[in-house]
Amino acid sequence: MPELKLANLNRTFLIGRLTKDPEIRSTTNGTPVANFTIAINRRYRSQTGEIKEETTYVGIVAWQKLAELCRQYLAKGRAVLVEGKLQNRNWETEDGQKRSTLEVRADRIEFLDRETRSEGAATAAEPAEAGAVPEAYPEAIADNGKSDDDLPF
Amino acid sequence: MAEIKIPTINRVIISGRLTRDPELRYTPNGKAVCNLSLAFNRRYKDASGQWQDDTTYITVVCWMKTAELVNRYLHRGSPVLVEGRLESRSWETEAGQKRTVIEIRADRLDFLERPANSEVDIDE
Repeated sequence: MPELKLANLNRTFLIGRLTKDPEIRSTTNGTPVANFTIAINRRYRSQTGEIKEETTYVGIVAWQKLAELCRQYLAKGRAVLVEGKLQNRNWETEDGQKRSTLEVRADRIEFLDRETRSEGAATAAEPAEAGAVPEAYPEAIADNGKSDDDLPF
Repeated sequence: MAEIKIPTINRVIISGRLTRDPELRYTPNGKAVCNLSLAFNRRYKDASGQWQDDTTYITVVCWMKTAELVNRYLHRGSPVLVEGRLESRSWETEAGQKRTVIEIRADRLDFLERPANSEVDIDE
């Protein structure tokens, strides 16, 4: 019998709204990179039967063409579908402490609403159900993945 | 035409190995909860064409029956596949700094190692 190999999987799908405008930077060799945070709402029924809501905040990073498209189309309050993988991001605080957080490196981002919404934080905190957008018209953009593995991120 | 609604999606599927033995605890009202520390590797070629390994660490939280099974069958080094959702948790340190962590709240685990009967498939 052939030897089995461990399945290697790292896939995340999220829908949420941007808590702020995306931050776009360039690496020293000119590669564009976009960072933003999305708020994901979840409604659940507590043990006592009341409907509660909790919000999860997840940092997203996008590279190259995807980063450019984020700059062009995304703003605070916009709804997005993000597909990608989980990775750690390590950094040092000003007083030299090492910190690490998890973020999603996006392979694909789909814009789920068209107009820039100006309601801001209030919008981001709304449950997804209440955030139905009549003119929603998905536009998909994808990181073609070609240079995916050249980046140490 | 009816209005389009934005669905709720928060889904993670990830495989890795435990970096230490699971820790089983019970909440004050008797619910089992188990935290797992998971590591997974990714190989990639850097700008100079050399292979590099990149390890990601994540905490996985399981509850109830899953927590008990995990505690019984898994140990440091066990390979596991986890399916669940991301949850962020914030707290304040003693020095008043705000910290946030992101964890996976597991709703299904698949043990990737024999012995047989080791598969768990539980939806709470």
